[in-house]
Amino acid sequence: MQYDEAIAYIASRWEDELVVTSAGTTSELWHAETGDTERVFYLEASMSLSSVFACGIAQGVGDKPVWVFSGDGAFCMNPGMLQVERQMNLPNLKHFMVSNRVYGSTSNVPLPGRVDNDYPAIARGFGIERVYSFGSMNELTATFDEAVLEEGHTFIHLEVEPMDYRGASPPMDGPEVKFRFGRYVERVTGNQIFTAPLDHD
Amino acid sequence: MDSNLEASVRSAARSVETGYSAEVAQEIVDNCVDAGISLVASLPDDWIAHSIASFEQDERINHVPVNREESALGLCSGAFLAGTGSAALMGASGLMTLVYGITKINYTYEIPLFFLITHRGTFDDGAKFHVSNGLYLEDVMKSINLPYTIINSRDEMPMIGEAYHHSRKISRPTVAVLPKKLLQGKV
Repeated sequence: MQYDEAIAYIASRWEDELVVTSAGTTSELWHAETGDTERVFYLEASMSLSSVFACGIAQGVGDKPVWVFSGDGAFCMNPGMLQVERQMNLPNLKHFMVSNRVYGSTSNVPLPGRVDNDYPAIARGFGIERVYSFGSMNELTATFDEAVLEEGHTFIHLEVEPMDYRGASPPMDGPEVKFRFGRYVERVTGNQIFTAPLDHD
Repeated sequence: MDSNLEASVRSAARSVETGYSAEVAQEIVDNCVDAGISLVASLPDDWIAHSIASFEQDERINHVPVNREESALGLCSGAFLAGTGSAALMGASGLMTLVYGITKINYTYEIPLFFLITHRGTFDDGAKFHVSNGLYLEDVMKSINLPYTIINSRDEMPMIGEAYHHSRKISRPTVAVLPKKLLQGKV
Protein backbone atom coordinates (compact mmCIF):
# COMPACT_ATOMS: atom_id res chain seq x y z
CA MET A 1 0.00 0.00 0.00
CA GLN A 2 1.30 3.46 -0.83
CA TYR A 3 1.69 5.80 2.15
CA ASP A 4 0.13 8.84 0.49
CA GLU A 5 -2.81 6.86 -0.91
CA ALA A 6 -3.64 5.48 2.51
CA ILE A 7 -3.50 8.92 4.13
CA ALA A 8 -5.57 10.43 1.30
CA TYR A 9 -8.25 7.78 1.74
CA ILE A 10 -8.42 8.19 5.51
CA ALA A 11 -8.58 11.96 5.08
CA SER A 12 -11.45 11.52 2.61
CA ARG A 13 -13.41 9.66 5.30
CA TRP A 14 -12.69 12.27 7.96
CA GLU A 15 -15.73 14.00 9.42
CA ASP A 16 -15.64 15.63 12.85
CA GLU A 17 -12.99 13.57 14.61
CA LEU A 18 -10.13 15.28 16.41
CA VAL A 19 -6.83 14.27 14.82
CA VAL A 20 -3.29 14.10 16.20
CA THR A 21 -0.50 13.55 13.70
CA SER A 22 3.04 12.52 14.47
CA ALA A 23 6.45 13.72 13.40
CA GLY A 24 7.30 14.27 9.79
CA THR A 25 5.57 12.63 6.88
CA THR A 26 2.18 11.99 8.47
CA SER A 27 1.82 15.60 9.57
CA GLU A 28 2.98 16.87 6.20
CA LEU A 29 0.74 14.55 4.19
CA TRP A 30 -2.32 15.21 6.35
CA HIS A 31 -1.86 18.95 6.06
CA ALA A 32 -1.23 18.72 2.32
CA GLU A 33 -4.36 16.62 1.93
CA THR A 34 -6.74 18.54 4.20
CA GLY A 35 -5.24 21.99 4.74
CA ASP A 36 -6.89 21.92 8.15
CA THR A 37 -5.53 24.12 10.91
CA GLU A 38 -8.12 23.67 13.66
CA ARG A 39 -9.16 20.08 14.18
CA VAL A 40 -5.65 18.67 13.91
CA PHE A 41 -2.84 18.85 16.41
CA TYR A 42 0.28 18.52 14.28
CA LEU A 43 2.60 17.05 16.91
CA GLU A 44 5.66 17.27 14.75
CA ALA A 45 7.94 17.00 17.77
CA SER A 46 6.24 13.81 18.87
CA MET A 47 9.11 11.27 19.12
CA SER A 48 6.90 8.34 20.19
CA LEU A 49 4.43 10.36 22.21
CA SER A 50 1.61 11.06 19.76
CA SER A 51 -0.61 8.23 20.97
CA VAL A 52 -0.35 8.98 24.69
CA PHE A 53 -0.79 12.67 23.85
CA ALA A 54 -4.00 11.68 22.07
CA CYS A 55 -5.04 9.59 25.08
CA GLY A 56 -4.80 12.74 27.16
CA ILE A 57 -7.13 14.49 24.76
CA ALA A 58 -9.51 11.56 24.33
CA GLN A 59 -10.05 11.06 28.06
CA GLY A 60 -11.34 14.60 28.41
CA VAL A 61 -13.62 15.13 25.41
CA GLY A 62 -16.44 12.75 26.22
CA ASP A 63 -17.41 10.50 23.35
CA LYS A 64 -15.92 12.72 20.65
CA PRO A 65 -13.76 10.47 18.45
CA VAL A 66 -10.03 11.04 18.36
CA TRP A 67 -7.82 9.69 15.59
CA VAL A 68 -4.09 9.51 16.17
CA PHE A 69 -1.27 8.60 13.83
CA SER A 70 2.07 7.18 14.85
CA GLY A 71 4.89 5.60 12.92
CA ASP A 72 6.67 2.33 13.54
CA GLY A 73 9.92 4.18 14.19
CA ALA A 74 8.27 6.02 17.05
CA PHE A 75 6.46 2.90 18.18
CA CYS A 76 9.71 1.00 18.56
CA MET A 77 11.16 3.79 20.68
CA ASN A 78 8.38 3.49 23.22
CA PRO A 79 6.21 0.38 22.78
CA GLY A 80 5.15 0.69 26.40
CA MET A 81 2.87 3.54 25.36
CA LEU A 82 0.58 0.89 23.94
CA GLN A 83 0.26 -0.71 27.36
CA VAL A 84 -0.88 2.63 28.75
CA GLU A 85 -3.32 2.93 25.87
CA ARG A 86 -4.69 -0.52 26.60
CA GLN A 87 -5.00 0.24 30.29
CA MET A 88 -6.98 3.41 29.55
CA ASN A 89 -9.02 1.58 26.91
CA LEU A 90 -10.68 4.76 25.66
CA PRO A 91 -13.61 3.83 23.42
CA ASN A 92 -13.27 7.02 21.38
CA LEU A 93 -9.61 6.47 20.44
CA LYS A 94 -8.48 5.08 17.09
CA HIS A 95 -4.72 4.61 16.73
CA PHE A 96 -3.39 4.37 13.17
CA MET A 97 0.14 2.99 13.26
CA VAL A 98 1.84 3.59 9.92
CA SER A 99 4.54 1.00 9.35
CA ASN A 100 7.05 1.55 6.60
CA ARG A 101 9.93 -0.22 8.34
CA VAL A 102 12.16 2.85 8.10
CA TYR A 103 12.62 6.16 9.85
CA GLY A 104 10.66 7.96 7.17
CA SER A 105 11.32 11.48 8.38
CA THR A 106 15.06 11.02 8.36
CA SER A 107 15.86 9.83 4.85
CA ASN A 108 14.34 6.40 5.32
CA VAL A 109 17.09 5.08 7.55
CA PRO A 110 16.29 1.37 8.15
CA LEU A 111 14.55 0.48 11.39
CA PRO A 112 15.97 -2.12 13.82
CA GLY A 113 13.87 -5.27 13.67
CA ARG A 114 12.30 -4.13 10.44
CA VAL A 115 11.95 -7.64 9.02
CA ASP A 116 10.50 -9.37 12.02
CA ASN A 117 8.49 -6.77 13.93
CA ASP A 118 4.88 -7.98 14.08
CA TYR A 119 2.97 -4.94 15.28
CA PRO A 120 -0.55 -6.42 15.32
CA ALA A 121 0.80 -9.34 17.39
CA ILE A 122 2.40 -6.91 19.81
CA ALA A 123 -0.88 -5.02 20.14
CA ARG A 124 -2.79 -8.24 20.76
CA GLY A 125 -0.10 -9.32 23.19
CA PHE A 126 -0.73 -6.19 25.20
CA GLY A 127 -4.39 -7.14 25.39
CA ILE A 128 -5.89 -4.81 22.82
CA GLU A 129 -9.05 -6.45 21.54
CA ARG A 130 -9.77 -4.46 18.39
CA VAL A 131 -6.69 -4.84 16.21
CA TYR A 132 -6.78 -4.44 12.42
CA SER A 133 -3.99 -4.79 9.92
CA PHE A 134 -4.19 -3.47 6.38
CA GLY A 135 -1.57 -4.05 3.72
CA SER A 136 -3.52 -2.93 0.68
CA MET A 137 -5.99 -0.23 -0.29
CA ASN A 138 -8.59 -2.89 -0.98
CA GLU A 139 -8.32 -4.18 2.58
CA LEU A 140 -8.36 -0.67 4.04
CA THR A 141 -11.38 0.54 2.11
CA ALA A 142 -13.34 -2.70 2.56
CA THR A 143 -13.00 -2.78 6.35
CA PHE A 144 -12.63 0.90 7.19
CA ASP A 145 -16.15 1.31 8.56
CA GLU A 146 -15.84 -1.64 10.91
CA ALA A 147 -12.37 -0.75 12.08
CA VAL A 148 -12.67 2.99 12.40
CA LEU A 149 -16.30 4.00 12.72
CA GLU A 150 -17.45 1.41 15.24
CA GLU A 151 -16.97 2.26 18.88
CA GLY A 152 -14.07 0.87 20.86
CA HIS A 153 -10.40 1.52 21.38
CA THR A 154 -8.77 0.28 18.19
CA PHE A 155 -5.23 -0.23 16.94
CA ILE A 156 -5.02 -0.07 13.15
CA HIS A 157 -1.79 -1.19 11.54
CA LEU A 158 -1.17 0.25 8.07
CA GLU A 159 1.66 -1.50 6.22
CA VAL A 160 2.91 0.95 3.59
CA GLU A 161 5.85 1.33 1.26
CA PRO A 162 8.53 3.84 2.22
CA MET A 163 8.19 7.02 0.22
CA ASP A 164 10.55 9.81 -0.58
CA TYR A 165 8.22 12.59 0.50
CA ARG A 166 9.67 16.07 0.61
CA GLY A 167 6.67 18.15 1.52
CA ALA A 168 6.62 21.07 3.85
CA SER A 169 5.63 21.14 7.50
CA PRO A 170 2.28 22.74 8.31
CA PRO A 171 2.99 26.48 8.25
CA MET A 172 2.37 27.18 11.92
CA ASP A 173 4.57 27.62 14.94
CA GLY A 174 3.84 25.53 18.03
CA PRO A 175 1.74 28.07 19.94
CA GLU A 176 -0.49 28.65 16.90
CA VAL A 177 -1.12 24.91 16.63
CA LYS A 178 -1.97 24.86 20.32
CA PHE A 179 -4.34 27.80 20.25
CA ARG A 180 -6.13 26.85 17.03
CA PHE A 181 -6.69 23.27 18.18
CA GLY A 182 -7.49 24.25 21.75
CA ARG A 183 -9.98 26.94 20.76
CA TYR A 184 -11.70 24.40 18.51
CA VAL A 185 -11.91 21.88 21.37
CA GLU A 186 -13.31 24.60 23.60
CA ARG A 187 -16.01 25.41 21.02
CA VAL A 188 -17.13 21.87 20.35
CA THR A 189 -16.89 20.45 23.86
CA GLY A 190 -17.51 23.44 26.11
CA ASN A 191 -14.38 22.51 28.06
CA GLN A 192 -12.33 25.41 29.37
CA ILE A 193 -8.71 25.16 28.31
CA PHE A 194 -7.27 28.65 28.18
CA THR A 195 -9.38 30.25 30.85
CA ALA A 196 -7.70 29.09 34.03
CA PRO A 197 -8.46 31.65 36.74
CA LEU A 198 -5.49 33.88 37.37
CA ASP A 199 -4.85 35.95 40.44
CA HIS A 200 -3.89 39.53 39.58
CA ASP A 201 -2.49 40.35 43.01
CA MET B 1 -5.07 -11.12 39.46
CA ASP B 2 -5.92 -8.40 41.92
CA SER B 3 -6.98 -4.96 40.75
CA ASN B 4 -4.80 -1.86 40.74
CA LEU B 5 -6.84 -0.64 43.66
CA GLU B 6 -6.22 -3.77 45.72
CA ALA B 7 -2.53 -3.77 44.84
CA SER B 8 -2.28 -0.13 45.89
CA VAL B 9 -3.60 -0.98 49.36
CA ARG B 10 -0.75 -3.42 49.89
CA SER B 11 1.78 -0.98 48.49
CA ALA B 12 0.52 1.75 50.82
CA ALA B 13 0.78 -0.57 53.82
CA ARG B 14 4.36 -1.39 52.95
CA SER B 15 5.16 2.27 52.52
CA VAL B 16 3.90 3.03 56.03
CA GLU B 17 5.99 0.17 57.39
CA THR B 18 9.07 1.72 55.82
CA GLY B 19 8.46 5.10 57.37
CA TYR B 20 6.36 7.12 54.96
CA SER B 21 3.34 9.10 56.06
CA ALA B 22 -0.17 8.24 54.95
CA GLU B 23 -1.34 11.65 56.16
CA VAL B 24 1.19 13.52 54.04
CA ALA B 25 0.28 11.42 51.02
CA GLN B 26 -3.37 12.36 51.50
CA GLU B 27 -2.45 16.03 51.92
CA ILE B 28 -0.64 15.90 48.58
CA VAL B 29 -3.74 14.42 46.95
CA ASP B 30 -6.01 16.99 48.61
CA ASN B 31 -3.83 19.89 47.52
CA CYS B 32 -3.83 18.59 43.96
CA VAL B 33 -7.61 18.23 43.94
CA ASP B 34 -8.05 21.70 45.44
CA ALA B 35 -5.85 23.08 42.65
CA GLY B 36 -8.10 21.58 39.98
CA ILE B 37 -6.13 18.47 39.14
CA SER B 38 -8.23 15.46 38.20
CA LEU B 39 -5.76 13.29 36.27
CA VAL B 40 -2.45 12.01 37.62
CA ALA B 41 0.08 9.97 35.66
CA SER B 42 2.63 8.29 37.86
CA LEU B 43 5.84 6.30 37.87
CA PRO B 44 7.21 4.78 41.03
CA ASP B 45 9.83 5.94 43.46
CA ASP B 46 9.93 4.33 46.89
CA TRP B 47 9.46 7.70 48.56
CA ILE B 48 6.15 8.34 46.81
CA ALA B 49 4.70 4.84 46.90
CA HIS B 50 2.03 5.95 49.34
CA SER B 51 1.24 9.05 47.30
CA ILE B 52 0.75 6.87 44.24
CA ALA B 53 -1.53 4.58 46.24
CA SER B 54 -3.48 7.52 47.61
CA PHE B 55 -4.07 8.88 44.10
CA GLU B 56 -5.17 5.43 42.97
CA GLN B 57 -7.62 5.13 45.82
CA ASP B 58 -9.12 8.60 45.54
CA GLU B 59 -12.29 8.72 43.47
CA ARG B 60 -11.71 12.38 42.61
CA ILE B 61 -8.64 11.43 40.60
CA ASN B 62 -8.23 9.51 37.36
CA HIS B 63 -4.93 7.86 38.18
CA VAL B 64 -2.98 6.42 35.23
CA PRO B 65 0.14 4.41 36.05
CA VAL B 66 2.52 4.71 33.10
CA ASN B 67 5.68 2.81 32.28
CA ARG B 68 7.95 5.54 31.01
CA GLU B 69 8.28 9.14 32.11
CA GLU B 70 7.78 10.45 28.60
CA SER B 71 4.38 8.80 28.55
CA ALA B 72 3.39 10.83 31.61
CA LEU B 73 4.56 13.95 29.81
CA GLY B 74 2.61 13.05 26.67
CA LEU B 75 -0.54 12.10 28.53
CA CYS B 76 -0.62 15.20 30.71
CA SER B 77 0.22 17.49 27.79
CA GLY B 78 -2.68 16.04 25.81
CA ALA B 79 -4.95 16.32 28.82
CA PHE B 80 -4.30 20.06 28.90
CA LEU B 81 -5.79 20.29 25.42
CA ALA B 82 -8.96 18.66 26.66
CA GLY B 83 -9.22 21.09 29.57
CA THR B 84 -8.24 18.46 32.15
CA GLY B 85 -6.01 19.53 35.02
CA SER B 86 -3.23 17.03 35.48
CA ALA B 87 -0.01 16.22 37.27
CA ALA B 88 2.92 13.95 36.46
CA LEU B 89 4.21 12.26 39.60
CA MET B 90 7.64 10.61 39.48
CA GLY B 91 11.06 10.30 40.98
CA ALA B 92 13.82 12.80 40.40
CA SER B 93 15.52 10.38 38.02
CA GLY B 94 12.36 10.35 35.93
CA LEU B 95 12.45 14.09 35.47
CA MET B 96 16.11 13.83 34.49
CA THR B 97 15.07 11.67 31.52
CA LEU B 98 12.66 14.33 30.25
CA VAL B 99 14.87 17.15 29.03
CA TYR B 100 14.04 16.22 25.45
CA GLY B 101 10.30 15.89 25.97
CA ILE B 102 9.97 19.09 27.97
CA THR B 103 11.99 21.20 25.58
CA LYS B 104 10.63 19.63 22.39
CA ILE B 105 6.94 19.36 23.20
CA ASN B 106 6.13 21.68 26.08
CA TYR B 107 8.45 24.50 25.09
CA THR B 108 7.74 24.25 21.36
CA TYR B 109 3.96 24.29 21.76
CA GLU B 110 3.89 26.26 25.04
CA ILE B 111 1.91 23.58 26.80
CA PRO B 112 1.83 23.80 30.59
CA LEU B 113 2.61 20.73 32.64
CA PHE B 114 2.89 20.20 36.36
CA PHE B 115 5.42 17.78 37.84
CA LEU B 116 5.60 16.39 41.35
CA ILE B 117 9.00 14.80 41.90
CA THR B 118 11.09 13.45 44.74
CA HIS B 119 14.10 15.38 46.01
CA ARG B 120 16.51 12.51 45.56
CA GLY B 121 20.21 12.74 46.22
CA THR B 122 19.91 14.88 49.34
CA PHE B 123 21.98 14.21 52.47
CA ASP B 124 19.20 12.09 53.97
CA ASP B 125 18.94 9.86 50.89
CA GLY B 126 20.53 6.51 51.68
CA ALA B 127 20.68 5.36 48.08
CA LYS B 128 24.13 5.69 46.54
CA PHE B 129 22.67 5.42 43.06
CA HIS B 130 20.82 8.70 43.57
CA VAL B 131 24.01 10.68 44.15
CA SER B 132 23.73 11.99 40.59
CA ASN B 133 20.38 13.59 41.38
CA GLY B 134 21.91 15.38 44.34
CA LEU B 135 24.66 16.69 42.11
CA TYR B 136 22.72 17.58 38.99
CA LEU B 137 18.94 17.69 39.47
CA GLU B 138 18.58 21.33 40.41
CA ASP B 139 21.25 22.44 37.95
CA VAL B 140 19.48 20.57 35.15
CA MET B 141 16.15 22.22 35.99
CA LYS B 142 17.84 25.63 36.07
CA SER B 143 19.65 24.96 32.81
CA ILE B 144 16.38 24.54 30.92
CA ASN B 145 14.66 27.38 32.81
CA LEU B 146 12.25 25.01 34.49
CA PRO B 147 10.72 26.78 37.50
CA TYR B 148 10.57 24.66 40.65
CA THR B 149 9.79 24.93 44.31
CA ILE B 150 10.84 22.65 47.14
CA ILE B 151 8.05 21.85 49.59
CA ASN B 152 10.08 21.96 52.77
CA SER B 153 7.30 21.32 55.29
CA ARG B 154 3.64 20.46 55.54
CA ASP B 155 2.94 24.16 56.10
CA GLU B 156 4.20 24.76 52.58
CA MET B 157 1.92 22.16 50.98
CA PRO B 158 -0.29 24.87 49.39
CA MET B 159 2.72 25.60 47.17
CA ILE B 160 1.60 22.55 45.20
CA GLY B 161 -1.43 24.47 44.01
CA GLU B 162 0.60 27.59 43.39
CA ALA B 163 3.14 25.68 41.30
CA TYR B 164 0.34 24.05 39.30
CA HIS B 165 -1.37 27.39 38.58
CA HIS B 166 1.96 28.98 37.76
CA SER B 167 2.43 26.45 34.96
CA ARG B 168 -0.91 27.55 33.49
CA LYS B 169 0.03 31.19 33.89
CA ILE B 170 3.35 30.91 32.07
CA SER B 171 2.31 28.16 29.62
CA ARG B 172 5.35 26.12 30.59
CA PRO B 173 6.05 23.23 32.94
CA THR B 174 6.70 23.77 36.63
CA VAL B 175 7.90 21.40 39.33
CA ALA B 176 7.08 20.86 42.98
CA VAL B 177 9.86 18.93 44.68
CA LEU B 178 9.03 16.60 47.57
CA PRO B 179 11.82 15.99 50.13
CA LYS B 180 12.13 12.72 52.00
CA LYS B 181 11.45 14.21 55.45
CA LEU B 182 8.25 15.79 54.16
CA LEU B 183 7.04 12.47 52.77
CA GLN B 184 7.90 10.84 56.09
CA GLY B 185 5.87 13.45 57.95
CA LYS B 186 8.91 14.68 59.90
CA VAL B 187 8.73 18.32 58.82
